[in-house]
Amino acid sequence: MEQSAPSALTQIVFLAPAVAGLLAWLLGRVRRAVAEAFALLGSAAALVAAIGIAARVLRGEILTGWGPELRVDALSALLVLLISGVGLPSTLFSIRYMRHRRLLDRDGADVTDKRLPGFYGLYLLFLATMLWGCVTNNIIMLYVAVEATTIASGLLVAFYWDRRSLEAGYKYLMLLTVGITFALFASVLLYAAATPYLPGVNAMLISELRGVASLIPRSVAVFVVAFLVVGFGTKAGIAPFHPWLPDAHAEAPSPVSALLSGVMINMAAYALARTITIFFPVYDALTVFVVFLGGFTMLLGGVMSLVQDDLKRLLAYSSVSQMGYVIMGLGFGTYLGVYGSLFHLLHHAAAKALLFLSVGAVIYATSARSMSQLGGLGKRMPVTAACFFIGAFAISGLPPFSGFMSKLTIFLAGAQEGMWTAVGVGIFTSLLTLIVVMRAGQAIFWGAPKSAATAVSLESVREAPASLWLAMGALAGVCLLLGVYPQIAYPLLNKATLTVAGVVGH
Amino acid sequence: MPYNTELIETLSMILIITSVAAVESQNLKRAAAAYCLQALLICGLILAFAAGNSALYVWAATAFITKAILTPWFLLRYIAKTGEQEVPAIVGFGPSVVIASVLLVSFYKLTHTYVHVLAPTPEAVAGVFRTNLAVALTVFVLGLYAILSRRDAIKTVIGLCLLENAVHLSLVSLAPDMRETALIGIATEVVVTVYLLLYVIAGIREKVGSTDTYELAELHW
Repeated sequence: MEQSAPSALTQIVFLAPAVAGLLAWLLGRVRRAVAEAFALLGSAAALVAAIGIAARVLRGEILTGWGPELRVDALSALLVLLISGVGLPSTLFSIRYMRHRRLLDRDGADVTDKRLPGFYGLYLLFLATMLWGCVTNNIIMLYVAVEATTIASGLLVAFYWDRRSLEAGYKYLMLLTVGITFALFASVLLYAAATPYLPGVNAMLISELRGVASLIPRSVAVFVVAFLVVGFGTKAGIAPFHPWLPDAHAEAPSPVSALLSGVMINMAAYALARTITIFFPVYDALTVFVVFLGGFTMLLGGVMSLVQDDLKRLLAYSSVSQMGYVIMGLGFGTYLGVYGSLFHLLHHAAAKALLFLSVGAVIYATSARSMSQLGGLGKRMPVTAACFFIGAFAISGLPPFSGFMSKLTIFLAGAQEGMWTAVGVGIFTSLLTLIVVMRAGQAIFWGAPKSAATAVSLESVREAPASLWLAMGALAGVCLLLGVYPQIAYPLLNKATLTVAGVVGH
Repeated sequence: MPYNTELIETLSMILIITSVAAVESQNLKRAAAAYCLQALLICGLILAFAAGNSALYVWAATAFITKAILTPWFLLRYIAKTGEQEVPAIVGFGPSVVIASVLLVSFYKLTHTYVHVLAPTPEAVAGVFRTNLAVALTVFVLGLYAILSRRDAIKTVIGLCLLENAVHLSLVSLAPDMRETALIGIATEVVVTVYLLLYVIAGIREKVGSTDTYELAELHW
């Protein structure tokens, strides 16, 4: 039996990076190294707090804070660990990466350099808002936190302040805000519908709402689910609400892309899982709709990634595709399906962040990100090449890497439910992903550039600095560990799966 | 309940018309002024509803500061930088007015008749609350229409503001007991988002030389 216990960790985990971000912005103006130090400190503090939270949750506790406002069960603990676990390597990567003058040249190196304290301030605020979203138990505050992640990251997407990044920033802020307004409307409807059954503030608490889902009028429930799918689905990059994603994830600086693709969309999927699954036990047909949405998303993302020349856009479309697996697993609604979905969240966070950082290392060394401009980097950048291929094997679902286990679990769940078409779409998309990432890896590390006129000269190319591959190495280790020894994640994943409403009944 | 039905319905009707004015005015300053007037009407409406629920006075104050002061100030400040004249919309002025009017009348009628389908509680659609919810949903649709049909980036931000006004207004019927902290959180985020969008649009104007979203075609597929 799990016991609720008040804990300051629920606040520290997101307040520490928020405060560090404020200090990085204020004091970083005096000396850039101060901003970098606070960035590392804030990210590390969040990870330490997250590990502490996970340890206590595994002991059977549910941590609370500010009365019932903050609540960390196993599902929240998993997300908090995942966000801060990707956050620290990405921060480490950003220190050298963001100093690189050639990359800062897009809007004039001196001008961009002056914006670095602001970059770290927003970066940590972005991390903090994602963590806050995963520990809040208030459905309105969940909306506020998700929108806060957009606000914090909007200027990070447009950081280079040139035509492309500004275009991406505008689309990002506009589309996500319009989308999330639907989620707000859904949250308000849900709160209002629960008010007659739950006194006062309880109608806002997600932990209480699942108990009254069956009492909410059917027509209202339909609108709530539809608006939640549009709202949080837009943020999660679910098709057809995904068009902002390739632009934003590609134009942001690479460490930010790692956070956007590795964890932010996962956090939005978490918001979706927290909210719509409360209706699963009441409305069976909903699960079929979610499975369809997942299949459509994975297939569309897979096909679109096939035609990309820009490496970061390719990875961004791959993220759309991978979110499809998460949604599909969730849609099966069974223990195995939800377990596979959460395992895939964990795997995707590590693998996609690793791939974005590997491509970031290529950009660091060459200032190029088009496959047609790149070739033969393998001998010059062996560590980066090894990290890229580990990420590529993992994302394609090859054994013995993390993606193999998570996808296999989702396919088994589909087979158990007799949803063979969904399983077929999943396997086909896996093959597509394999082709896409292997072709990209072959082109940039072994092949010759397609266009001789714009090809990057190999003579000046050097392996990325140690801090960059240290960050990549840590994530590569996670991809390998989760594939070789998946049991390591079982205790937390098992508890998190049981937390998701609806699965216990199956 | 001690509601002044006539006052609420009159304010609601004027409020819808301000949405059309904000969408259709080709001068961005006038569109911002129409938006500001709408914000003031929302404050007035919330005050009218406060006769039955004193907690709504805080809501009216929040709406006044964020929607009637800060947002129009930001809009006017950036319009001064980017230019008053709106980039021509996807549809011409005449057809657009017709589309907006048809949307207004048909959607108001539709929502006023069938809003009970969406209503979480019987109280949310009783008497003046039904009118309020129908008005909110109509403003929401007009805001969406502005975002989808306008090429001018500043105008799309005004459309977004209408969308947010609609949600704010709907809270009076749907969630009158919502705590002030949640409401202040929502309202503050809207203002910050609008400011950031305008900041980015000013950057676009500087780099591209226009606020025409059709010019933003560097990134596709």
